[in-house]
Amino acid sequence: MVTIETPRSPRSRKHAQWEKWGWLYMRYSGAVLLILIFGHIVINLLSGEGIKQIDFAFVAGKWASPFWQVYDVLMLWLALIHGTNGMRTIVNDYTERETVRKALNYTLWIVCGLLIVLGTLVCVTFDPCIDQAMRASLEVCKG
Amino acid sequence: MSAETKKIGEIPSFKVTLFVRRFNPEDGQDARWQDFDVEVFGTDRVLDALHKIKWEQDGSLTFRRSCAHGVCGSDAMRINGRNRLACKTLIKDLDITQPIYVEPIKGLAVEKDLVVDMNPFYQAYRDVKPFLIASDKPEKERLQSAEDRERFDDTTKCILCAACTTSCPVFWTDGQYFGPAAIVNAHRFIFDSRDEAAEVRLEILNDKEGVWRCRTTFNCTEACPRGIQVTKAIAEVKQAILRGRA
Amino acid sequence: MTKPRIHNYTYDVVIVGAGGAGMRAAIEAGPHAKTAVISKLFPTRSHTGAAQGGMAAALANVEEDSWEWHTFDTVKGGDYLVDQDAAEILAKESVQAVIDLENMGLPFNRTPDGKIDQRRFGGHTRDHGKAPVRRSCYAADRTGHMILQTLYQNCVKLGIEFYNEFYVLDLVMVGEGKKRRPSAVVAYELATGDLHVFQAKSIVFATGGFGKIFKTTSNAHTLTGDGVGIIYRKGLPLEDMEFYQFHPTGLAGLGILLSEAARGEGGILRNASGERFMERYAPTIKDLAPRDMVARAMANEVREGRGAGPNKDYVLLDLTHLPPEVIDAKLPDITEFARTYLGVEPYTEPVPVFPTAHYAMGGIPTNIKAEVLSDNKTVVPGLYAAGECACVSVHGANRLGTNSLLDINVFGKRAGIYAVEYAKTAQHVPVPADAASEVIAMIEKVRKAKGNEKVAVLRKELQDTMDKNAQVYRTEDSLNEALDKIAELRARYENISIQDKGERFNTDLLEAIELGFLLDLAEVLVVTARERRESRGGHYREDFETRNDKKFMVHSMAYLTDKKVKKPGENIKIDWKPVTITNYQPMERKY
Repeated sequence: MVTIETPRSPRSRKHAQWEKWGWLYMRYSGAVLLILIFGHIVINLLSGEGIKQIDFAFVAGKWASPFWQVYDVLMLWLALIHGTNGMRTIVNDYTERETVRKALNYTLWIVCGLLIVLGTLVCVTFDPCIDQAMRASLEVCKG
Repeated sequence: MSAETKKIGEIPSFKVTLFVRRFNPEDGQDARWQDFDVEVFGTDRVLDALHKIKWEQDGSLTFRRSCAHGVCGSDAMRINGRNRLACKTLIKDLDITQPIYVEPIKGLAVEKDLVVDMNPFYQAYRDVKPFLIASDKPEKERLQSAEDRERFDDTTKCILCAACTTSCPVFWTDGQYFGPAAIVNAHRFIFDSRDEAAEVRLEILNDKEGVWRCRTTFNCTEACPRGIQVTKAIAEVKQAILRGRA
Repeated sequence: MTKPRIHNYTYDVVIVGAGGAGMRAAIEAGPHAKTAVISKLFPTRSHTGAAQGGMAAALANVEEDSWEWHTFDTVKGGDYLVDQDAAEILAKESVQAVIDLENMGLPFNRTPDGKIDQRRFGGHTRDHGKAPVRRSCYAADRTGHMILQTLYQNCVKLGIEFYNEFYVLDLVMVGEGKKRRPSAVVAYELATGDLHVFQAKSIVFATGGFGKIFKTTSNAHTLTGDGVGIIYRKGLPLEDMEFYQFHPTGLAGLGILLSEAARGEGGILRNASGERFMERYAPTIKDLAPRDMVARAMANEVREGRGAGPNKDYVLLDLTHLPPEVIDAKLPDITEFARTYLGVEPYTEPVPVFPTAHYAMGGIPTNIKAEVLSDNKTVVPGLYAAGECACVSVHGANRLGTNSLLDINVFGKRAGIYAVEYAKTAQHVPVPADAASEVIAMIEKVRKAKGNEKVAVLRKELQDTMDKNAQVYRTEDSLNEALDKIAELRARYENISIQDKGERFNTDLLEAIELGFLLDLAEVLVVTARERRESRGGHYREDFETRNDKKFMVHSMAYLTDKKVKKPGENIKIDWKPVTITNYQPMERKY
């Protein structure tokens, strides 16, 4: 039978202001992401030659501008936290054992943190000059 | 009386098959479906069909019912996959070419046949302080404008049948969520201009298991036999928490 | 079968029934004495919640009004069989009762200046019958629902202890004659089949009505008169049982109630030819005449061939001249009933209606302190009753609309107050060791029965005979026919069997036990109706068409005796009790 077998333990009173901020974050990040992602899709995939234009040079060209660096770092942070928080609610809904729930949630946040750190590092420390061809063509690499 | 005039007065009757989810805690067996053929009339409701089964075929069929016209909230059940009151569901409005499936509401432990343990549901209701809290001691009635009265009219209709809460997929997951019915009853007081404890209730619902678990699937609004805009009420409570007041 | 598990409790006050009267009593008793409420339903499932129209109180918020006028209307509405001291209390305390509810949080509809709004209702008039008055306080057309919810909310607030889905099946009385005292009640727990003995100093019965003796009724399936039946089986009297109210506007064929508020807001009753027939029966207040008159007028239209519909067996309630906004704002629930159950759109079509069994004016006799009487005068100390199960008598031969929600609040409150007062000084009456034995025997008899009669069949035959013979129109012959039928059903009841032999949630068993109470009460109703050879209020005898104040300006008191009977009904002793008259001498009842 698809029901919960035993009467449930009383609700634990966890005053999680956190849930309120989490809920708000999902709304606002969602709205911002909508703009960022559409912008991303238009620039990367629709304008110019479309998907065929994406190569190292294209990325290097974009990240040469601080605007796109900020744009992409923002998108990275917002999307990863948004997605991880979404996964967290699903985990909270569907795990029955507390230990499993905790393990899954810790894993989620660790992975999320790692990806954010890694992604941000890539964005911020990006060096277009590591590529031979770029070194030849870009002014900044010649100095 | 001629054959023709007789026909006019007759209420047409027809045969339907009901598949009822049976569970007897005393026979050691798992829950199972059992089918019954019943002769019903055009004005009959699912509750009438269940009564016909109980009174004519199987006296052990167990379900709650009282007023039989949708105001006491005893007979919420899952009929053809949707939460409804058996006494408000006319059989002729269902697809009677197919069997009608009747099972207990989901998310609460089944006690016997269509009877579930309602206590967790009632506890969630009691947890939101569902009563007027006001410090003044007026000699006559407190005044309230018609507009202020209208503000919470919709949520005063709740009959605690649990159709909303047990249609909520979030409630199904672990039964810890306060659930739409409790939030509706909190809403009834949060937005009552005479009440002074809106903040207390908002604090209660600003909980891990409170309004933030609502995913706005609108199952509750669709299930409510009283036509309460449940999801809207929940959204208004969320807004109130964000504002910090009603 | 294992021996039943028996649990024992001790309280100061035990209230049986968690409807309006029971919970109103609990709110008074709870803070001052150790109180428990025992109910066969979860409290908000009680039938108070089905009441729609309103609660009368001479607040005079919208027009001039006074409690004296209200008293007069109540007395006249009850065809002068009302105890006028009780009616005065009802009318006087009505104002505070409404204020209490508002202060507890009840969301009444409001006037433009924020006060409680009031509307017209059948039988309520200004200045002793001059014109309809706006006296009914209401919350849309779910006043009863809001009262029930508000009272339960306040019970939650006060932390009242409830035992829900516990069926009280016996009252334990100790001692003999005038020394007899209540000691405990015995309840059967639906979930487990266990028995629970609740010892208490004060016991309040607030168990509601018994409309299920009739087929066409607005009453819930659970209104089987268990409480009234328990009192009767203890040899205590029942008062005015012949007076049963048939509400004019039940949905035709179904009995589901459309509130009198529909007529209060301007709805009109019409026969097949569209005639507003109430103009003939009550020229002054027409459709707002008291319920007994309207119900009889409707039945008469149908009897004389002016009924509407293919079988000419109902009349029409016409709301089509009302603006849809008014219908939506003031009558939302009842229009929904018409749509859901009959597929009729009240905006544009008249609604088929016919009288439906609605309310028992009679019941457990009490005085104005809600104390139960063991004869015309003697009080049973510690035993109280309030609400529909009780007969104070504020409703006399016919209850006015909106006076029942008032009754439960005024006398529910009184029952709570006096129950506490008694419990403060009284001692517990020791509970006999075999307190539960009668209930055990009752249950085991039904569970073990191996006969071939079905409970549902017997119940249906009872309801059919009551509808046919003891409804709006009654005669000596029809009542004798009903009595013979009840005797036959009683004999067959000894030969029943049930299919569910289990202990958990055995509703099959309880339906059989409830039928026993229904048979008892139907029999009392029929016997007292036969003995009252006059027509008064809700009781109309075609063989005695007029009111006979000389002989019958008295309450009937029916006692169960253990006399061996040759003819059905002979074991019921009928006595008569004088009516208390203060200000209003009986007059002809014209509207």
